[in-house]
Amino acid sequence: MDKAMLKVRNLHASVEGKQILNGLDLEVNAGEVHAIMGPNGSGKSTLASVIAGREGYEVTDGQVLYRGRDLLELEPEERACEGIFLAFQYPVEIPGVNNTYFLRAALNAQRKYRGEPELDSMQFLKLIRGKLEILHISDDLMHRAVNEGFSGGEKKRNEIFQMAVLEPALAILDETDSGLDIDALKLVAEGVNRQRSPDRAMIVVTHYQRLLEYIVPDRVHVLSGGRIAASGDADLALKLEEEGYSWLAEGGIQALEGAETGSGGAGAAAGA
Amino acid sequence: MTGLTEQWSDALAAAPQEPAPAWLRELRENAVGQFRAAGLPHRKVEAWKYTPMTVFDGLRLTAAEPVPAPVADLPPPLCESSVVVDIRDGALGEVPADLPQGLTVLPLATALERFEERLKPLFEAVELRGATRAFAALNTALATQGLVVHVARDAAGGSAAGRLLLRWGLSAGAAATMGQFRLFVLLDDGARLELVEQYLGSGEAPGDGAAGLNVLCQAELGAGARLSHTRVQAETEQAVLLTSTMLEQARDSRFVYRGFDLGAGLARHELTTRLTGPGAEADIAGAWLLDGRRHVDNHVSVEHLAPGCASEQFFRGVLGGRSRGVFNGRALIQAGADGSSVRQSNANLLLSPLAEMDTKPELEIYADEVEASHGATVGQLDEAAVFYLRSRGLTDGAARRMLTAAFCRAVTDRVADPILAERIGGLLDAAMPSGEQL
Ligand SMILES: Nc1ncnc2c1ncn2[C@@H]1O[C@H](COP(=O)(O)OP(=O)(O)O)[C@@H](O)[C@H]1O
Ligand SMILES: [Mg+2]
Repeated sequence: MDKAMLKVRNLHASVEGKQILNGLDLEVNAGEVHAIMGPNGSGKSTLASVIAGREGYEVTDGQVLYRGRDLLELEPEERACEGIFLAFQYPVEIPGVNNTYFLRAALNAQRKYRGEPELDSMQFLKLIRGKLEILHISDDLMHRAVNEGFSGGEKKRNEIFQMAVLEPALAILDETDSGLDIDALKLVAEGVNRQRSPDRAMIVVTHYQRLLEYIVPDRVHVLSGGRIAASGDADLALKLEEEGYSWLAEGGIQALEGAETGSGGAGAAAGA
Repeated sequence: MTGLTEQWSDALAAAPQEPAPAWLRELRENAVGQFRAAGLPHRKVEAWKYTPMTVFDGLRLTAAEPVPAPVADLPPPLCESSVVVDIRDGALGEVPADLPQGLTVLPLATALERFEERLKPLFEAVELRGATRAFAALNTALATQGLVVHVARDAAGGSAAGRLLLRWGLSAGAAATMGQFRLFVLLDDGARLELVEQYLGSGEAPGDGAAGLNVLCQAELGAGARLSHTRVQAETEQAVLLTSTMLEQARDSRFVYRGFDLGAGLARHELTTRLTGPGAEADIAGAWLLDGRRHVDNHVSVEHLAPGCASEQFFRGVLGGRSRGVFNGRALIQAGADGSSVRQSNANLLLSPLAEMDTKPELEIYADEVEASHGATVGQLDEAAVFYLRSRGLTDGAARRMLTAAFCRAVTDRVADPILAERIGGLLDAAMPSGEQL
């Protein structure tokens, strides 16, 4: 079998008639962690939304293959049941829906889809106990409504906790680090690192290099102007930290020594 | 006179006079006259603007005859209860004789003698004039069937687990009658009663014809008395249900109402309470979940007539299909009713573009130092929340049901008894509108 978990080819997508992604290519294999960096508004969350299946994001060209299947044909819940998980940049507050109840319902929906028996509440509590500890999630948070009144850090930890329980094959973490203090960041990173495995792929979207000190990626991509402008190994993140993103606007990819240019990227001709 | 008003007036004139005290016979004759004069309400009558009067076509007026109870095929009781009374098509079943200390439950005809002094002024207090009062006039004219519940001073209407359950049954089909029933709840000073009413169909398959019921309830709460009233209505679409509850609350009394309308073709509930003594409280909450072409009207009116009273009206509505809901919530703080607290809130979810909700809060404040808040909203499910749930594996339908149930939980959480709350939650889940259009 093809070891590519995700293949994005020439993806063009628009929101409300506004073109955001302009020919994005990305390939992620099982076992790998990829980081996607890029300035605000470059389309990182748009890419995550298209993969997760959020309404209102129109794919105008290109394709997304997940384990060899056309992902764009699937409903969001089918994608989830097939193993895709999005940790939201802005987790949604859901008044009146108990956090524990919600997560058990979600897990059971996925288990049912896979033909596995559903878990009763005792079995579920047993399953989550250890995972709660790792992410320092209190009983109180589990008894409250989903994300309602959670602090920024609590919301992000809750996302990673959900990921730990749902055990996806492909996880996309959209700016899970933003708004976290260093302790919370370390907790989240530990939660993520524990889930790295040979049959799981992760895409870590971040604005800052800081998170990548704790979650060391196999590949780093720079998203700019709706496409991958440059790709490299973990060192690329460091260089971005030093140089910033301003060089992207000038199309001067050569300023970043050692970076490969994205296919058809702005600075392709100038590749070192 | 419209056709139906004429037809019903004739039926009223032809109805046999039941044996009753002279004052009541006179009152009934007066009611017949008032109905004939004013007729049924129509669209131009503000309080009945949205109520589809055509559903009454084809319903005949009758004075129901008592039927022997228990009726085996009524749906099972919604909750454990020390006293169950069945009322089928407006006819009172057997009233249990063995009752907890302090509680009296009697058929109206029997009670008229024993409680005449208290019932006469209550009968006389009901306004019968005008088209808005047409159904009160009908009820007064025809309701020989009725029930009187009395709880003696400082007694609880039952033991700790004791409550009085009224189990209503409406059989659709050939009869096509508009039954009339009268209910009195008399709580002496310090008395307590938990009253649960269930309207869960007759237990038989719904027929083609409509079945109607017009219930008029009057309750008197003495000083410090407590009445908890839970009403769960999940009738078949053939049911036409008019219920009107009028309370008078003395000093420091407390009324707690939890009402759920999940069914009926037309259900119209009028609830009026007058807080006549200082420190009286009315905690009124309810929900409706409507699908198909159902229509539910809730008209709630709280009158603060003494200082230091508190009231809350808290209602949530969910409407799918082509259903229609109406909420009219009125709170009046009369001059002199200083230091009152009044809260009112009605939020609604429309699950279908063809569903409709009309909500109208009315606050009239003539007193000083009043703490007041009110709000009414009509909206849709939060699509961001729907996507969040779907992104975790729940189907679109399951996500919407989960969010809708959570919306209603704000009301079921206010049902004090957890077992009853859970049963009602189950009925709500079963009645959850699909959002699909019919
Ligand atoms: N729902 C939306 N409606 C309108 N514009 C949107 C929407 N979502 C994103 N955009 C626009 O698309 C562009 C890319 O946004 P986004 O993908 O969120 O960027 P990033 O995550 O890289 O900061 C921005 O210009 C943003 O304003
Ligand atoms: Mg973003």
